[in-house]
Amino acid sequence: MDSFTAITLAVFLPFILAGILPVVEKLLKNRIGWYAAAVAFLSLVLVAQVAPTVIHGESIQGSITWIPSLGIDLSFYGDGLSVMFGIIVSTIGIIIMSYSNGYMSKREDLPRYYQQLLFFMGSMLGMVFSANLIQLFIFWELTSITSFMLIGYWRNRPMSVYGATKSLLITATGGLFMLAGFLVLHAITGTFDIPTILHSESMIEFIKGHELFLLALILIFIGAASKSAQGPFYVWLPNAMEAPTPVSAFLHSATMVKAGIYLVARIHPIFSGTDAWFILVSGVGIITMIMAGFLAFRQTDIKGILAYSTISQLAYLMTMYGYTTLHHPGIGVAAATFHLLNHATFKASLFLVAGIVAHETATRDITKMGGLRKEMPITFILATIGALAMAGIPPLNGFLSKEMFYEASYEMGHLLGGPFTYLIPALAVLGGVLTFAYSIKLIDGIFLGKRPSHGLPEHIHDPGWTMIVPTAFLAVLIILFGLVPSIPSHYIVQPAVESILLEPVDLHVQLWHGFTPALMMTIATFILGILIYTRYDSIAAWQNRFNSRHPMLSVNYLYDATVNNAKNVTFGFSSRMQPGNIKTYVIALLLLMIALFMIPVVFLTADIIPSTLNFDIPLYEGILFLFMIIAGLGAALLPRYVPAIISLSGLGYLVSLLFIYLSAPDLALTQILVETLSTIIFLLAIVKIPQKFREHVTPAVLTRDLLIASAVALTVFVLLINATQGIVAFESLSHYFIENSLPLAGGHNIVNVIIVDFRGYDTLGEISVLCLAAFGVYNLIHSRGEEE
Amino acid sequence: MNNTLLSLTIAILFGIGTFLVLRRDILRIIIGLSVLSHAVNLLIVSTGAFAGTRVPIITEDGGHGASEATGTIFNDVLAENTLAPITAAGHTVNFVDPLVQALVLTAIVISLAVTAFILILAYRIYEEYGTTDINELRRLWG
Repeated sequence: MDSFTAITLAVFLPFILAGILPVVEKLLKNRIGWYAAAVAFLSLVLVAQVAPTVIHGESIQGSITWIPSLGIDLSFYGDGLSVMFGIIVSTIGIIIMSYSNGYMSKREDLPRYYQQLLFFMGSMLGMVFSANLIQLFIFWELTSITSFMLIGYWRNRPMSVYGATKSLLITATGGLFMLAGFLVLHAITGTFDIPTILHSESMIEFIKGHELFLLALILIFIGAASKSAQGPFYVWLPNAMEAPTPVSAFLHSATMVKAGIYLVARIHPIFSGTDAWFILVSGVGIITMIMAGFLAFRQTDIKGILAYSTISQLAYLMTMYGYTTLHHPGIGVAAATFHLLNHATFKASLFLVAGIVAHETATRDITKMGGLRKEMPITFILATIGALAMAGIPPLNGFLSKEMFYEASYEMGHLLGGPFTYLIPALAVLGGVLTFAYSIKLIDGIFLGKRPSHGLPEHIHDPGWTMIVPTAFLAVLIILFGLVPSIPSHYIVQPAVESILLEPVDLHVQLWHGFTPALMMTIATFILGILIYTRYDSIAAWQNRFNSRHPMLSVNYLYDATVNNAKNVTFGFSSRMQPGNIKTYVIALLLLMIALFMIPVVFLTADIIPSTLNFDIPLYEGILFLFMIIAGLGAALLPRYVPAIISLSGLGYLVSLLFIYLSAPDLALTQILVETLSTIIFLLAIVKIPQKFREHVTPAVLTRDLLIASAVALTVFVLLINATQGIVAFESLSHYFIENSLPLAGGHNIVNVIIVDFRGYDTLGEISVLCLAAFGVYNLIHSRGEEE
Repeated sequence: MNNTLLSLTIAILFGIGTFLVLRRDILRIIIGLSVLSHAVNLLIVSTGAFAGTRVPIITEDGGHGASEATGTIFNDVLAENTLAPITAAGHTVNFVDPLVQALVLTAIVISLAVTAFILILAYRIYEEYGTTDINELRRLWG
C-alpha cells in the first residue's frame, strides 16, 4: 500500500467504521468499546506505515481532485509533524477507547459515545494530514463540532449544555478568524496548498515582506489561540470538563486542544523569524502560562485543576514555538515538540487517574479527599508518576522537556539582551514553580494525609484492569521516555522538528548534561515550588476573596454577559420580525414586491406611463373588460359566500372568453373545464361551512387595505404597460419551439407539443402536484373519519 | 387586442385579489387567491399576444413560422448588443408566443389543485375550531 492510500484510509476509516457502529452493537452489545479501540489501532498501523519514510526526512503527498476551479483538492501531506500528531492521536485513541470500557456505564448510550469519539479521531487525523488550507479548516471545524457533541454528551445536565455551547461558540468563531487568515494568505500567495508554500523559500520571503503579513498572522493566530485555550479564549476549557473524563483526557488535554499548537507549528516556517511572531505567540503564551498556573490554585475540582494545568502547559508550548529571532528562527522548536509529546502522555494519564478516582469515590472535589494511598495503591503510584512528570522531577520525561524549555528561555533571553536577559528565564521559572505546586497538590490532596471522616464511600479500591492497564501503559511511556529519551527523540520528535525548521537537525536529549543554567533554574523551581506549596491554601483563599469582591474582573463574566445579551437581543429581534399575524407577513411581502418592481421601473424608464397609450376600443372588448371588473368586484363585495363564488365563477368564464381573444384556444378550453370543476368544489365546501363569521372592517383597516390593493394594482399596471412596450433583454426561447414543433415532434399545435413533448417532464411534475393535492384532500377528509 | 385597457383590467383584478387576500375570513382569502391566479394567468398570456398575431397552430396553408420569409414573431438583434423591439419594423408577426401559453396551461391546472386542497383545509379547520377567522384561529392555537 502506498503512503497516500494509507493516510487516506487512516483518516476516512474511522468515519466509515463509526458509521456501522449501530450494527456492530447488535453483535458485541456493550463491548463495542473494544471495537472502537480496534479501529483506533487500525489507524495507528496505517499512520505507522508512513513513519519510516518520514523518519528519513522525506515527506509524502498526494491528492484527489475535488474543486479544481477554486484550487481546492482533497490532498494529504505527511511529514514529521503530521506523523507525530497522527501517532499521538491514534495511540491515545486506543488508550481512551479501551479505558472507556471500564469507565462508561453499560446503561449509557454507548454507540453514540464511541461514534462521536471515532468521528473526532478521524477529523483530527484529517486535520493534521491536510495539505490544503481549506481542507484543514473543514477538519478543524469538524473537531470543534465533535468536541461540542462530546462535551454535551450528558444532554440533560445544564452545565454540560453550557460548557458545550461555550466551547463551540469560542472555538468555531476562532475557526472563522483562521479561515479569514487563510484567505488573506491565499490573497498573498495565490495558493491554498501548504507544501507549495513551505517548500518555496522565495514565496516565504515574499509573504514576510507583504503588507498583509501581520493581518494574516493575527487572524490565523486567533484561530490557534481559541482552539488551544490561550489568552482570553481559555474560558471554554474549564467548562469543557463537563464531558465524560475519557473525553477530557482525549480531546481536552492530549489532542484537540493541541490543534492550535499544531497550526502554530505548521505555519512556523512561514511566519517565524519576525518580531510580530515573537511578541504575539510568546507574549500570549507567557501571560497565559502564568495566569492559568496561578488560577489553578483556586480549583477544588480535580478536573478543574487539570484543565487550568492544561491551559498553562499549552501556553508553555506556545511560548517555546514563539521564541524566535531573525537569525535564530526556531530556538524553542525542539523543546516544544518534545514537551508536546510528553505532555500528551502525562496529562492524559493524570486525567485517566482523575477518572478512576471520581469513578471510585463518586466525587471530584479534592477538599473531600485524602489518604487514599492505602485503599488505591496502584492508582496512587500511577498518579504519582504522572504528577511528578508534570512537576518536572527527574528521571521522568517531563523533567527533560522542562529542562529544554529553560534552556531555550535562557538562550532567548540572552539573544534579546537588555532586561529580557533575566526577565524571560525568570518568567519561565515562575511558570514552572506554579506547575510544581499544583502537581504536588494533586498527589497530596487526593492520596496523602488523612482520610476525611465523612463524605467518601466506605469501601474504596483500585478499579478493574480495563481502567488500570491503559493508564499504566501511559505511565510506562512516561518512565521510558525519561530514561531512554533517544527513542522518542530520534523516531518521533526529530522528524517533526526537521519538518518545522525545514532543515536536518541532530537532536540529542540526555538526562544529565552538566551544571548548565537550565539545571540551576530547575533547582530554583523545586525550592520555590516547595515554598509556594506551603502557602497553597492561603493563595487559593486570597483568589476566592478577590473573585467575590470583583466579580466583573473575569473573562467568564464578559462571556456570560455577551451571550445573555445576544440571547435577549435576538429574542427581541425575532419576536418583532415574527409577530405571528399572517396579515403582517402578507403586507410586508406585498410592500417588498412593490418596491422591487417599482424601483427599477422608476430608475430605468424614461416615462413611467408611456405616451403611446391606446385608448381606442372596440365595443365588444370594452364590454368584456367591464364585465370582468364587475365580476371581480362581485366576488370581493358580495356579502354572502354563494353569490360571491358564483361571481368568481363568472369571472373565470370571462377569463376563458378573453383567452379566445388572446389567440389561446387551448387555454380557453382548459379554463372552462377547470372553472367548472373548481366552482363545484367551492360550492361543495361552502355547503359544509356555514357563514358564521362576518368581518367588521374598521375605516382605518379599510383605508390601509385599499391603499395596499391600489398600490399593487398600480405597480402591475405600470409594469405591464412598460413590458408590452416591447423591450427584451434576452433572446426568446420561443423560436426553437415554433421552428421545431413540426419537424421534431410532428405536431401542428405548438402549445400542445410543448406541453406533452418538449417540456414533458414539467407536465409530469404538474401531474405529480395534482396527485399530491388529491392525496392531501383524501387524507384531510380521512383524518376526520378517524377521530369520529 | 387593446393593450392599455387589457393591462388596466388585469391591474384592477390584481387590486381586487390583494384586497381579498388581506381579509380575515379564510374563504375570502381563498376567493382572493383565485382572482389573483386569474390575473396572473392573463398577465403572462397578454405579454405574448400582439395585434395581428395568429393562434399558434401550424396549418397546411403555409403558416410555417420562422421558416417562412414573411418574418418571425420575434426579431432579436442581441448579437449587435442592442435591445430590440419584439416586432421589428417591416416584419409581420405570425404566431402568438406559444411558450407563455404552455406555461399558463400548467398554471391553470395547478391552481385548481391548490384551490381544491386549501378549500378542504379550510373546511377541516372549520370543523376542528368552529371558525374561519384567522385572528380567532391564531388565538386558539396560542
